[in-house]
Amino acid sequence: MNRVGNLLRTTLGNALPAIVFGALFLGFWEWAVRFFELKPYFLTAPSAIWEQFTSNFTLIRGAATVSGTNALIGLLAGTVLGVAMSFVLSRFGFLNQLITPLAVALNAVPIFVLVAVLNNMYSITSEIPRRIMVALVVYFIVLVNVARGLTQVSPTHVELMRSYAASDVAILRKVRIPNAIPFLFVSLKIAAPAAVITAFVSEYFGGSQNGLGSRISSNIANSKNAAAWAYVLAACLLGLLFYLFSVVMESLNRKGEVK
Amino acid sequence: MSAVSIRNASKVFNLGKSNQVDALRNVSLDVKPGEFVSLIGPSGCGKSTLLRLIANLLEPTNGDVVVNDKPAAQARLDQDYGMAFQQAGLFEWRTVRKNIELPLELKGWDKNARALRANEMLQLVQLPEFGDHYPWQLSGGMQQRIAIARALAAHPPLLLMDEPFGALDEMTREYMQGELLRICAATGTTVVFVTHSIPEAVYLSNRVVVMSPRPGRITKVVDVSLGGERNEDTRNRTAFFEAITAVREGLRGMHAAHVGLGNDDR
Repeated sequence: MNRVGNLLRTTLGNALPAIVFGALFLGFWEWAVRFFELKPYFLTAPSAIWEQFTSNFTLIRGAATVSGTNALIGLLAGTVLGVAMSFVLSRFGFLNQLITPLAVALNAVPIFVLVAVLNNMYSITSEIPRRIMVALVVYFIVLVNVARGLTQVSPTHVELMRSYAASDVAILRKVRIPNAIPFLFVSLKIAAPAAVITAFVSEYFGGSQNGLGSRISSNIANSKNAAAWAYVLAACLLGLLFYLFSVVMESLNRKGEVK
Repeated sequence: MSAVSIRNASKVFNLGKSNQVDALRNVSLDVKPGEFVSLIGPSGCGKSTLLRLIANLLEPTNGDVVVNDKPAAQARLDQDYGMAFQQAGLFEWRTVRKNIELPLELKGWDKNARALRANEMLQLVQLPEFGDHYPWQLSGGMQQRIAIARALAAHPPLLLMDEPFGALDEMTREYMQGELLRICAATGTTVVFVTHSIPEAVYLSNRVVVMSPRPGRITKVVDVSLGGERNEDTRNRTAFFEAITAVREGLRGMHAAHVGLGNDDR
C-alpha cells in the first residue's frame, strides 16, 4: 500500500511542473483575451472553448468515435500488414530492392491525392478510404522498423546459432523475432499518433461530414471558432489517448524484460 | 585419435576476383584430446579463420578438417563443440539461465533436464545465484563466464574460443584465465583458443601455435612445459618466461622477415 502511495507521489511530483506550466499558460491566454478585448474570430478564450466542449459533448464524442474508430482500424490493419511484409522482405532480400522504390514513391504522394482517388473508388459515404489511408501510413512506419529489427541482428548471435546447427526457422524464432520486438514498439509509438492525424486529415477531402476533422473545418468555415477549438481539444485528447496506449504497451513489454 | 585434425587446409576468400585474399595456406595441425592449444599471431594471420574452419562456420578451399573423428560439417551438426567469442553474445531478452539452456533447447532437451543442467553449469562457473538475472545486470567478466557455461552446457568434448577475454581488463582477464583452466580440468574439455596476448597463450596452453600473415600459415609451434597444475606462481617461473621468449621470437622472426631484415632481398 505504502509502495503504491510512493509511486503516486513521485508520479505527481514529476508531473507537477507540467501541470503548473499548463495552468499558467491557460491563465495567461484567458487574461490576454479579456485584457486586450480580442475578438472571438481572432482568438477564443479557454473558458468559451470549455463551455462549447461541455455543452456539445455528445456531438463531440460522436465525432471522436468516428475518427477514433477509423484511426484504430487503420492502425491495426497497417500494423498487421507491415509486420507480415517485413517478414517477407527480410526473408527474400531481392524483393527488398523491388519494393523499396515503390514504397518510397507511394509515400511521396500527398495524402489528399490518395484520399481523393480512394474516395472515387468507394461510395461517397464510405469510411473505407480513410481507413485505407491510415493503414498505408502506419504500414510504412511499421514495415521499415520491424524489417530493420529482423535483419540487424548481432553477427555473434548468428554465428553462435550456426555453431549450434540451428535451422533458419530456429534463428528466426530465437534471434530475429525477439530482436525485432522493441523495434515494433518503437514503430507503434510513432505510428499511433500518425494514425490519428491521418484519420483527421483524410476527412478534409469529401465524404461523410461526421468525424472530428470535418467538424473542425465546417465550424471554422462558419466562423464558429469556439466550437472549432472544442473539436480541436477533442482531437488532442484522442491523439494523446493513442500515444498513451502505445507507451503502456511498450512499458508492459519492457517490464517482462527487466522483471 | 585426435580431437582436431587439419590436413593441408587452405582458405581463399574472393577466389579469382581482384580482392582475392589468401587467408590460410597449407595449414596442418593436430590437437590431442584434453589438450589446450592457443593460436597466436598478428591481425590477418588467419587464426580466426582457422578456428572457423574447425567450427565449420567456413568451408576450406582445399584440404580436410576432421573434428572428433568425423568431418567438421558432421561435428557441427552433432554439436560436438561449444564456441565463445570476444563479445559474450548473450541474448539480452533471455535470463542467464535461459541463455545457458539455449543449446539444449536446440537439441530438443525437455524442460526439467535443461533446468538441471543449467544449475550444474551455474555451479561450475560459480555464479549459482545469478540464474534469474538478465545479462545487462552482470559485469563483463561474469557475462563471459556465462558465455563459457553456455558453450559447455551440452558437455561438448571441444571448446573453441575466439579472443574471449579480449574485451576484459587485465585483472579480470588473469582471474578468468585461472577460471577457464579450472573449468577445463573439471570437465576434461579440449580447447582451441585464439588470442593476441603472449602471456595469456603461454599461461593457458600445452602448445602455442604461432601464425604469420600473407598468406596465413603456421610458422612455429612452442611446447609449454609448465605441467598440468597452474596457479599464480606459474607466472613467476623460469619455464613461463622461457616459453614467452620462444613465442615472442617466433612472432619477431616473422616480423623481421616482413620488414626485409634477415634476408638478402635488399
